[in-house]
Parts: sequence; structure tokens; C-alpha cells
Amino acid sequence: MKRINIFIICLAAVMWSCEDFLTITPETNLSTATFFQTEADFQQAVNAAYAPMRNIVNDRMWLLSEMRSDNTMYARNILFGATEQQEDLSDHALPEADGITTNVHVLNQYRLDYLIIARTNQILTTIDAVEFNQQSKNNIKGQALFLRAYAYYELVRYFPHAPLHLNPVTTRDQAALPLSSHQELYAQIISDAQEAIPLLPNKANQDLGRVTSGAARMLLADIYITQNRWAEAETLLREIVDSGQYQLIPEFENVFSETSGNKNNIESVFEVQFLEGPEGLQGNFLYQFMPRPISPNELRPITQTSNTEPLDGQGNNVPTPDIIEAFEEGDERLDVSIGYVDLLGSLRENKTYPYIKKYAKPHSLHNIHGMNWPIYRYAEVLLFLAEALNEQGNSGEAATYLNMVRNRAGLENTTASSQTDMREAIFRERRVELAFENKRWFDLTRTDRYMEVITDFGQRARNDPMRYYYPSGATFRNHAFSNITKYYALPAAEAEITPHF
Amino acid sequence: MNPNVYQFRPGRWLTFALVFVLVTHAAWAQTISGVVRSEGDMETIPGVSVLVKGSSRGTVTDLDGAFQIEADPGEVLSFSYIGYSTKEVTVQSGLTNYEVVMESSMSDLTEVVVVGYGSQLKREVTGSVQSVEGSDLMDLPVPQMTQKLQGRLAGVQINQTTGQPGRGMNVRIRGQFSIAGGSQPLYVVDGFPITGDIATINPDEIEDITVLKDAASTSLYGSRAANGVVLITTKRGKAGRTDVSLNYYTGVQRVPHYNRLEMMDAVEFATFKKEYFEAEGRAVPEMFQNPSAYEGQTQDWYDALLQSAPISNYNLSVTSSTDRMNTAVVATLFDQKGVVMNTDYQRYSIRLNTDYKVSDQVKLGFNIAPSYVFDNTPRTDGDRGVGILFNALHTWPNMPIYDEAGELTYYNRFPGETGNIFAYPNWLRSAQEITNETKITNLLSNAYVEYSPIKDLTFKSTINAELRGQQYFFFNPSTATNAINRPIPTVAMSIRETMDDFGWLNENLVTYRKSINDHNFEFLAGYTNQYFRRELTRVQADTYADDRLPTIQGAININRGGTRSDVQEWSLTSLLSRVNYNYQGKYLFTAAVRGDGSSRFGMENRWGIFPSVSAGWVVSDENILNTSEQVSFLKVRGSYGVTGNNNIGNYTQYALINNTVNHVFNNTVVPGAAVTSLANPFLGWETTNQFDIGLDLGLFDDRIQFVYDYFNKNTTNLLYNVQIPQESGFGSFNDNIGEIRFWGHEFAINTRNTDGKFKWTTNANISFNRNRVEALAEGIDRVYGLAHITQVGQPFGMFYGLIKEGFYMNEEDLANSPVVPGRSTVGSAKYRDVNGDGIITIGGDNDDRAIIGNPFPKFTYGIVNEFQYGKFDMSITGSGSYGNELYMRHLYSTANLDGVFNMVRKVNNRFRTPENPGDGIFGTTVGGGNVTGVERDWASSHFVFDASFFSIKNLTIGYNAGAWAKFIKSSRVFASIQNLYVFTNYWGGQNPETSMQSSGEGDGGNLSQGVDLFGYPVPRTFTIGANLNF
Repeated sequence: MKRINIFIICLAAVMWSCEDFLTITPETNLSTATFFQTEADFQQAVNAAYAPMRNIVNDRMWLLSEMRSDNTMYARNILFGATEQQEDLSDHALPEADGITTNVHVLNQYRLDYLIIARTNQILTTIDAVEFNQQSKNNIKGQALFLRAYAYYELVRYFPHAPLHLNPVTTRDQAALPLSSHQELYAQIISDAQEAIPLLPNKANQDLGRVTSGAARMLLADIYITQNRWAEAETLLREIVDSGQYQLIPEFENVFSETSGNKNNIESVFEVQFLEGPEGLQGNFLYQFMPRPISPNELRPITQTSNTEPLDGQGNNVPTPDIIEAFEEGDERLDVSIGYVDLLGSLRENKTYPYIKKYAKPHSLHNIHGMNWPIYRYAEVLLFLAEALNEQGNSGEAATYLNMVRNRAGLENTTASSQTDMREAIFRERRVELAFENKRWFDLTRTDRYMEVITDFGQRARNDPMRYYYPSGATFRNHAFSNITKYYALPAAEAEITPHF
Repeated sequence: MNPNVYQFRPGRWLTFALVFVLVTHAAWAQTISGVVRSEGDMETIPGVSVLVKGSSRGTVTDLDGAFQIEADPGEVLSFSYIGYSTKEVTVQSGLTNYEVVMESSMSDLTEVVVVGYGSQLKREVTGSVQSVEGSDLMDLPVPQMTQKLQGRLAGVQINQTTGQPGRGMNVRIRGQFSIAGGSQPLYVVDGFPITGDIATINPDEIEDITVLKDAASTSLYGSRAANGVVLITTKRGKAGRTDVSLNYYTGVQRVPHYNRLEMMDAVEFATFKKEYFEAEGRAVPEMFQNPSAYEGQTQDWYDALLQSAPISNYNLSVTSSTDRMNTAVVATLFDQKGVVMNTDYQRYSIRLNTDYKVSDQVKLGFNIAPSYVFDNTPRTDGDRGVGILFNALHTWPNMPIYDEAGELTYYNRFPGETGNIFAYPNWLRSAQEITNETKITNLLSNAYVEYSPIKDLTFKSTINAELRGQQYFFFNPSTATNAINRPIPTVAMSIRETMDDFGWLNENLVTYRKSINDHNFEFLAGYTNQYFRRELTRVQADTYADDRLPTIQGAININRGGTRSDVQEWSLTSLLSRVNYNYQGKYLFTAAVRGDGSSRFGMENRWGIFPSVSAGWVVSDENILNTSEQVSFLKVRGSYGVTGNNNIGNYTQYALINNTVNHVFNNTVVPGAAVTSLANPFLGWETTNQFDIGLDLGLFDDRIQFVYDYFNKNTTNLLYNVQIPQESGFGSFNDNIGEIRFWGHEFAINTRNTDGKFKWTTNANISFNRNRVEALAEGIDRVYGLAHITQVGQPFGMFYGLIKEGFYMNEEDLANSPVVPGRSTVGSAKYRDVNGDGIITIGGDNDDRAIIGNPFPKFTYGIVNEFQYGKFDMSITGSGSYGNELYMRHLYSTANLDGVFNMVRKVNNRFRTPENPGDGIFGTTVGGGNVTGVERDWASSHFVFDASFFSIKNLTIGYNAGAWAKFIKSSRVFASIQNLYVFTNYWGGQNPETSMQSSGEGDGGNLSQGVDLFGYPVPRTFTIGANLNF
């Protein structure tokens, strides 16, 4: 018996002594046990919360919004296997059943928004327990609130309902939440955006590229406009105009970011930041927007890179004949927004394709560029203000703001005067001013014109597929334009693993 | 029969004995001399004890195996030596010089096998183990031990997934695998569970290999034993003698022509293109208007990459054993060029094993084994765009390899209207100009001290250390690329990766034996600690000013995404114990347990206990069977035990922060940090419970030995990164989930078919392994792979896709069948509408996918025949697999009906019109990618083919030249053919054992196994060699 006791004591001693030996923490990673404890930690955390925005605007948003509208389309290159995932979005033929779709871009947009939400939730639930400089804390909180509101605002515009996460997930059973209605989601979005405004500094006092009080006002105004809350929107928009932080740039061609210059300029309210170079923070959306197949010789004049490579596959986000026609005679924005390229490898007889020129700025290396992506520009503030005023019956003052945008583009003052005409004028102006800035589809849905506009567009396109970039003999698929919906169905890959949808 | 050479045959012996008793009555006492040799190699054996039966006269053979002894005619000389059957020779009148040949006691009662933490009499083993001697594998001209074992082990499936030298061996014991934890067994070299790659171990150093299969045999290796354990014992000197041996072989490897994947030649390709454009109603490009112009002009890009390649192995070993000192030195240089140009593989290795007996109580030992491997292999394997073999295979056969000046072209691209949408770099340049080399320095060493204060009580303490440095260097100059459609000059790029491993193991063991009457006990206890650390540095740089200077500083860009450093560490503390008990060597019982504490396990789940019990009954020792002449040995045995798999990653229990989620403000980089994984403090090892029942049977004096085993295993708590809804911000959660059941039957038979001058032995085995997924995670009933599904109630990793039923044969068929909206036409692939909704859908809620094939064989088998006739010997080794299927993934590109690439020849018999529907494999080309894409881009049974095979792995013929010079004890020359022939109906490539992932780095993992991407061919190797013993 005694021996056994000694044995047990020895054994216990051995086990205890090796607890140290057996405790190995990762040397090349930090873990939650040691992070979120200093100002610097939260600063890094909020920086990381912006990161998914790069993926959103570079890879997904234009597929789900611009290419879904009548501004751009998928340009089929029949030398290649079809890439249905993009084609389905462009020609409104998404497979969908029971409110679920398998489209991978819908899935990725959804996931990227929730990535922002998870990162901001982590900040917002832990930051108050850590003591540090209040001003800095407010700034971080304000940014986190903005980003969370922005991500949910994307979700409510894409989906008819979505789960509402406000706390970080730490265990497996917290991962899935029931679907919340638009009403619940909007309540949170508005409250976050409202809370963010006073916490954030204005543009003059903020790092370039971070969100500002102006950006937060614009976000909230955008939300109010979507909800037809015109007066509240007007107040916020006037605050932006009166802030003196923003101006229209005289020449439209100078509005857009270059690969390293002209970023976050005086007209920019909020833009997603990219960096050219080896840091891995570059964009390549310009390449994604190129009609294909394009040879190095055809591409080089556009990108001016030293190592131009050919691009094969299918063309995406290629401007439609409709958007080209939407520009009025003499509109200087047409040549800034749209360029043309001849593709010798195309099977079409007409080998000339339009491409989005707004963002086509020279850079050094193929597929790596640093142009920022505009989310909100001052021109849109003015157009929103015009719209908010017009909807409240103040068409006269609305014309002032509309004309500021038109005159900058080399156009005469609007001829519209009635509220209805003014509404149409603003609607058209938004289309050309903000072409390829992912606004058109949301304009169509918030005004409930999407069904009429896309149905007409579909008919025009099907009647003349060669005009819409099909080679002779090829055309749209049978089921093109058969599933025109205001919202996307929820992603199937998520539906498979959540019990709630 | 040479009267001086005695073969031990009981029947004949009796006759001799009778005759001699009569004849030798009046004989004289005389001095008898002679030499003792061992059967087979006919080498002399020193130290054999020679006794005159029934007297006290005895002697021992000297270093040359010679003896002298006084004996009368009619007296019987008894020769005995460890490892050999005792031999008796009756002295004949007038004959004074004897050559005595002793047979190795392979089947004898005294045969000892190495088991975990010790050794055991084979007859007393209660688990399922199988051994192979290193000398049996010597002639096989392959560098990896596992290659040499193909076909030899029951229940062990060994596949060579690629022919890249030094790589690609996939070993699976008893069908075991897990989702994430791998399937490679634990390799234990001289007691040290190594962490490096078994492929770098020089097989010439190996004395014997023991494979532990059931839980009773493996449970002492605890949390690392679930995939089975392979014990490797390296060479030691043989008692009382010194041996010097020189072994050499050299030969040539070639890729045989039979069974190559047949691609279109230039005429067929041009004909295809012509017909394609005509069918589309488009103008035929000038290039294809006259296909017959290409007669004799075919450029076989794949064949152009191949070469005849030399292979040689030089091995010198010196073993020596005296009373107190036992030394073995083995030095080997292995040098292989590959059959794909610019492949080089060299291994330099030395092993020094020394044991020193300080006194009767104390023994010391040191082993040290440095080795160096140089390996340069072009990026041959992988998916289209990655692997140059796949790329070359379907490069247009009218694209020139050489230009008019006889120089290699840089790349080929024809005008767009030919349908040539990709630029094809010259793959010969890719192979020759891209550097892709790995250099591995490996040092395995150990030292031990053994102390026996009293008889049968031994303390043993060992220190083992493993150092391993691996340097990887990749350089892609501007003149070449392994990717399709990258123009030349391209951006030059380099990768440098340095990996430094350091590991140690300390083991402290005590063993105690005790026999009380007929009760025999053996007790083992041990305490061990093991630690491992790997440091990795990787630098990726690009945009070089000059291809001749691929230094880091020569690059304009350092690629951040490809540049990193990393540290991986783990530690393991274990307590282990085993008790063996037997009664009269007849009733056998073993119980063992290991407790493992590991740094990998969650804080709340740090220790795992792995017990096992086993029992055996030597039925043939019972009186009831002693009367049976036929049955020489019969043992039944059973075992049950628990083992684990701790290949769960080093830090999976932690919620990690990624500090490189950077962003940009003020047009400069700012650091960002995000939580990228969730913590699981309860995370643990995978657990396998295994039951085994077996039978060892020897018949006709062990001329036939038969082993049977049935096993049933349940693996639970599989480590899996369970997918969670990403609304959480996370993709997965590391958890222990699910259950897989494995069961199977194994049969092995060894027979001595003939004795005498012509000897013939056969070893054969066959194994039937099955598995079934019993459970996955809560709420998850399936996991998808590449074209695979792992689903509850089904075997793991089954091929999954649409069921192809043929083609829409005509308009009527099309109108009356379910279709793919917008894509189906007459002559396009017709799939089964599994869910009956009238529409063919892949994925999503209306999915029509089903299980379409099984990568697992119904059974695997192997057979080794050895023949000896006088001084000639021959052996032939075969291994096979039946019922396994492969997913011929490369068809998505090698049968692209848009004519983008060259195509397999079978496309000639495609569907053309309803009147000319072809042979039913490939559909119409009309309609372009929208139509043809349904056949090539959607996973379906179209890609699944039977890959059963029987492969003659090796044929060797040898000649024993004996001692033809004074200083030569024995010698042998041999010739061998490795991979003589593969019998198979599989047509997608020459290697039905293949399994690959898109990156070309190893096999596809267990979730996506059995994918053929046309990897490195396994060559046929012709060698000649010689063994000289001094």
C-alpha cells in the first residue's frame, strides 16, 4: 500500500513537472489571450476591419450591383467555357430555390460583410474595458461603428433578411443566429451611423482614407434616402455641404484616383484604399473589367505596364450600348468614363469593345495597381441633396445642386422644372455621373424601377445579341432575364450549415 | 547431389542414420575438419558451436567458418548457431572433410521479432506483426524503403503516386486514414520515432523492418500509433565475425511505350480542327485546311521531355563483432537521374552503429547517421498550368519544339482565329531552365546505456537527437515558365525556403523477466520525453535584372505574400508499461498502456491513455494436436486496444491573431490585426479502438505458413475544421468529431514449394479493407472534396458528381429528356435527373449529383516468388489492386472539345451527328463552350474509370559466383528489371497508383484521393549489380 502511495506521488510529481514542458504557445502568432489590451491593439484591429472592403470593391460589389444593372454586362467570349457564376448575375438567370442560391459571388459578398461585422464587434464589445486616450478611443469606435453600419447596409440592400450579430463569436454554438427583418437591421444600422457621427473627426483631422464624420453623415443620408426619409437626409447633406471640407474638382477627368496620386482628394468623401507595390494591398479591378481576349499589345496602351500579359476568359463589367447612349451630347464625362479597344482575338466581326476608363490609370506592373475605389463623392452629396429637396417639393433649389454637377461636366443647366421632370433628371444624372461606381442597381431597387428597366433592357439585348457583344451565331441563354428580383436569395453554402435558413 | 553438402531432410536423414549405424561399426577415430556455410549466400559462419553428440567434445568455428574436431565414424556432429536451425551430421568412415550448410531458422521456434520497446519470440507474439529482412530487399533498384516493400506486406497498401525520384510513396496500414490527420504510419528507427521524411533513410542501412498493425502491438506508441507503426532496425555486426561487403548496381531507366496515354497526332489534330470549324459554320483557318500536310510532322511534346536516365548505387558496409564491441559502418552513394529531363536525385549517407560492453552489467551504444540528399525535379506534376507534364501532354502537336536554326523555341502562339487562345511556352525550356531544388541534410543519432544489476533486470536510458536542414531553392528565369499563357520573357522569380528541424527524445526503460516454474513474466515500464522544433524562413523575390544572378538582392521586388518566417514546436511526455505473461509458452497474455501528454492537446484535455490487451494460445503445443503430423504450428490470438493520432497541428487549440491583415491610410501601409481562428481548449487526439483476431498456422513442418487476421477499428474524435456559418466571421472551428469504421481481412501465406537443388518459395498476401463513415459533426452529414464526397453511411471520399448516361442522340431524345437549361443540345452530355425535377442541376438545392465511383480497392494483393537452382537464383515480385477507380481529372483539359488543347485520341470517335454518334465517350463540338463545358467542367461519371492493376514490380536473376579470389568470401552478380509490366485497363496514364492534388505537391489528401493529373511517369529500370563479401 505504502509503495503504491509513493508511486502515485512520483507519478503526480512527474505530471506536474511536465505541465511546463507541455505548454507551448505559438511563437509566430499572438492569440486572443494576449491581444486587445492596448490602444495599439485596437488601432490594429480597426485597421484590419477595413481590409475586407478591398475585396468587396475589387472582386464582388460590381458583380452584384453594376453588372446586374443596365450599365454593364458580361461579354461572352465563346472560345472559353462559360463562367456561369458571372453570367447568371449579368443576365438575371440566377438559380434560386426556397430563397437560396448557389451563386458564389453572392456567397462571398455575404461573407465579406460579416467579416467586417465580426471584426468590428470584437472591437466594440471589448474597447470600453481598456483605458486609453478618450479621443483616440472615440475615433476607433466611430470607425468601427461606421464600418459595421456600412456592412449591414450592404446586406439589407442585397438580401431580404439576414442574421444580426453584435457580439464576437467565441464558440461553435454562437456561430449561427436567426434571420432578422429589414426593420430590425435598419434600426441597428441607423443607430450605429448616428452614434458614429459625433465620435469621428472631420476630414481635416483624420488620417486620409479613414472614415470621417462627413462620411458617416453621408452613409446615414444614403440610408435615409433609401427609406425616403427626405428631411432627415437633407439635414445631414446640408451639414456636409456646410462643413467646407469638400468641393467639386473642376475637371471631371481629375476626379478619380491614380495609382499613387490624386487619392482622397477634395471631392472624395470616402474611398477604399489600395496601394501599388509588393505589400499585397493592391487592386486589380481594372483587369477584371477588361473585355477579352485581349493581347499585350492591345492592353499596354491602357495600363502602360512594363510586363503586360494577355488576358483570356470572359469579359466582365463591360459598358452596355445603353449606358453609352445615356450620356447627353457634349457630356465631357463620356470620354472620361468609357474608352474603346480593338480586340483582334475576338470572334465578333466588330472587334471594337468599350471598357471602363474611369479607373484606367497607368501603373508599373501587370495586374497590380493602386487606384482607390470611390464609395462616396461630393458630387453624389450634391445629387442626393437635390433629390432630397425635390422630393420635398423644393425643385427649384434642387436644380441648383443638380446644375453644379452638370456644369462641371460641360453641360447646360437642366431644363426640368416640375417635380416629376426633376426626379427623372436627377435619376439620369446619377446614372452618368456615377456610372460604374456601383450606384445604378441600388437606384433601381430603392425607386422600385428595377423590374421595368431590366425587363426592357433584356428585350433590347435579346433582340440584338451582336450589339451586346455576342459573336454572330451566338446569343443569350434561353433563361436569360427569367429571374429579375429586387434582392438576392441567401447563399446556399451558408444555408447548408445554419439551422436558421 | 554433392555428397558433401547435407541438406537437412528428416526423412532422408533417418535412412542415412540407419545405414551409417550398420557401416561404421568398425571405423577409426579420426580428425574431422570442415567449413560451415549459411544457406543462400553460402557465406562462412564463424562462431558456430560444434559438438559431438553424447560426448563432451566440442569446438567453435573460426573466423573463416572452419572447424576441426575428433570424432569416430558413426558419431553425430551437432552444429548450432543463433538464427539457424541446429544441424546434425553423422561422420562417415573415410570422409574427413565436410562442408556443412546451415539453414536459417526463419520458421523456427527461436525466431525473434522486434516489437515496440523490445523483442519477442515470434511464436509468443500475440499481436499482428509482420517482418521483412533488409537483405531480401537489397536487389531492388529503388531509393526508398517503402518502394521496396510494395507487394510484400499483408494489409499494407503502398502506392507510388508519382515517379518523381525520392517522393510520392503513399503507405496505408489496414486502410487507416483520417480527415486531416494523414495516413502515414509512425516510423521508428532504432527506437526513435522520427519526425523527418522516411524517404531520406538509406535502405541499405536496414537490417529488418517490422510492421505493427493491431492495437496490442502499437498501443505503446500511444497517441501516434493509430496509423500503424513501422519499426526499422539498422545493421549490427554478427556475433564473432567481421564482414566487409561491397554492393553495387547500375542501370538505366526508361518510360516504356506500352499503355501511354494516346494523344492525337498532328494530322488527327488538324482534322479535328477542320471538322470543328466546318461544323460551326466558320471558315477553316489556313493552317488546318489540309491536315494530311502534317503527315510525319507530329511534335510529341511529352516524349520530348523524357530521356533514358542512369541510376547507380554504391554501398560499402563493414560489420564487426567481438566479445565486447560490435560495430557496423554502412556508407552509400545513390545517384539517380530522372526520366524527365533535368531531374537529379542523389543521396550520400553513412551510418555508424557501435555497441560496447563495458562489463557484464553495463553496455553502451552510439549510433550516428548523417545523410545528404540533393534533389532537383522540374515542376512536373500538378494541374494544367502548374505541371509541365500535363501541359506538354496536350500542347498542340503542330507547334514546333525547335526553330529552324535548331534552337528550342521560346513559346508558340498561333493567330486567334485558329482557336489558339493560349500561348504555350516551350516545356523543354521549363524543364531545363527552371531550378527547383531541395537539399536535405539529416543527422540521426542516439546513445544509450544499459545496466543490468542482476540477471533479467535491465535499466536502459537513451538519448536520441534528430537534426534536419532543408533548403529549397526555386528560380524561374525570364526565359521560361511552367504556366500556360505566360508570355516570354516573363517576370523572373525566386523562392528560397530554409527549414531547420531539431528534435530530441529521452527514454528511460526498465525491464524485468522472471520465470517461476512454467510461469514466465516480463515487465516493462518507461518514462519518455520528446521535443521538436522547426524554424522556417521563406523569401520570395521577383523581377530580376539579370537571370544569371538569382540572389535575393538581385531582385527588384520582395514579394510580401510569399515571404515569411514560422516556428513550429511540440512536446510529448509519456509513461508506458507492458506486462507479458505466458504459461509454458503456450498460453500467452500481454497488457500494455501508454499515457501521452502533448503540447498539442487543449489545456482541458492534456493527457490521453492508450491501453491494450492481447492473448494467444499455441494450440499446437497441446497434446490433442501433437498427434497431427500435418500441423506443425498453430496459434490463435486476439487483441483489443486504443491508439491515437496526434497529427492535429501544433497550435490548433489556440485562437490566433493574424497581425498581417494590413491596410492603407495616407497612402502607406498600416498594420492590421484580426482574430482568424477560434480556440478549442478541449481539443484532443483522434482515437482508434481496434479489435483483432488472428491465426498463425504452420503445416508440414512449417513448409506452409499461413497467417490470417480480421480486424475491426473505430476511429472517433477525428480532428476536423468543422465548417461554421461565416456570419460568425470565422470559417471553421477545430473540433474532434465523427466516427469512421474500418474493417478487413488479411491473409498471408509463405510456402516452401520445393527443396533440394531447385528451391522455390512463395510469399503471397491478400487484404480486403473496407471503411464506412459512421458520423460527422453535429448538423453536418457530408464534406466535399475536389470531385468527392465524404458522407455518413458511405465509404470515405467517394467520387461524387452527375451520372452520365450518354448523349442526347437526336432532337426527339433532347425534347423528351431532362436538360441543362440553355446548354443542352443534340450530342451534348446527358446526365441522370437524380431528383426528378426535369432539370439537370449541379450543386445547390436541386442537386442531381450522386456517388459515381470508389477510389478504394476491393482488395489488394502481392506475391513474391523466389527460386534457387544451384548457384542461380531468381525472384519475382508483384503487387496488385482490384476494384479501385481513378478520377481522370486531366480529361477536363485533354478532352476539351473546343479544340483549345490537343486531345486524347479517343476524341476521334466523338459524337458528330445523330447518324454518326461515335463510341459514346465524347460529345459534340458544336455550340462551343456553352455546350461542351457541361461535359468537361461538371464533375461526373464521365471522368471515373476502373484502375485495377497487377504490376510486376521486380524481376531479379542472380548468380552466386562463390569465393573466386582468396580475399573474397563470397560473391554474387545479378540483373534486375524494376517495374517490368503493369497489367491494367486504365487508359488515362501509365500509373494506376497515382493520386495527386492540383498543386502537384503530394497526393490529394484523403478527402480528394485518386485524382489523375498525369504526373511523373514511373520508369522501367534495367540494372546489373554485384555483391562482394570480404
